[in-house]
Amino acid sequence: MYSLLTILLWGIWGALTKAISSDLDAYTNQVLFSVGVLPVMAIVLFSGRLTGGVSRRRGILYAFITGILGGTGNIAFFKALSEGGKASVVVPATSLSPLVTVALGFFLLKERASGYQKVGLLLAIAAIYLLSL
Amino acid sequence: MHIPLWLVFAMVALVFWGITGVTQKLSTNAISTELSFLWFGVAMIALALIVLPVVVPHWHIATKDFWLAVVGGTLNSLGAYTSFAALEKGGKASIVIPLCYLYPLLTISLAIAFLHETLTRLQLLGIFLALVAAVLLSQEAPPQTDRPKI
Repeated sequence: MYSLLTILLWGIWGALTKAISSDLDAYTNQVLFSVGVLPVMAIVLFSGRLTGGVSRRRGILYAFITGILGGTGNIAFFKALSEGGKASVVVPATSLSPLVTVALGFFLLKERASGYQKVGLLLAIAAIYLLSL
Repeated sequence: MHIPLWLVFAMVALVFWGITGVTQKLSTNAISTELSFLWFGVAMIALALIVLPVVVPHWHIATKDFWLAVVGGTLNSLGAYTSFAALEKGGKASIVIPLCYLYPLLTISLAIAFLHETLTRLQLLGIFLALVAAVLLSQEAPPQTDRPKI
């Protein structure tokens, strides 16, 4: 359910990004993106679910790393385009990042998929690549 | 061998985005979706403050682009929040993240409807594969239980 909501929100974001002028550079994009994060952070602050957890320090560290890597990845993506990479190559190539997640999930988190899910993973990776062409 | 700079940046994006799927999962294993998202946001703002000195001298931006980028940030971060929630509810990183990355399915549909873009044959094949993949990825294996003794 939450995964489908993510597809919905990121899907609209993707269409919106297409409408933004290509004049916007990587750094400006990242700064404005962060301004957009603020209202969601404000809502979350009053959620009443900020306490507890089995290991707060570890959880916060991983969340912080997620933000730094995600944001740096965004900047690197736009820099790849501005440094002469063709969108028709950079977009499909970087869209394969879930492959890294699947590999790390397998080796680090010891995650195992069902038979259906293994076929689904292969189809998803192919679909992600084709959709980004 | 000469490796072009753009390829280095593209590989950084590929690897960093891929790692975030796992760090998201590790975070929600330890704390709530809300606290995870809050610190994800703190990191985003910290990064923005670091790059701000680069941005300010070139601050020539149309009002429309400004607001589209800000609203884009809000939508993307709401998506980040729901992906944290999917992982906290027990979803595996190796399943949830590829499923979420099928979002171009919707982007392409919206681009056709509102931006009057057309669909290539390969994208059409991609849409078909994405729909089948989404159904298959949601088929979680039943939890393993001890067999009753006969």
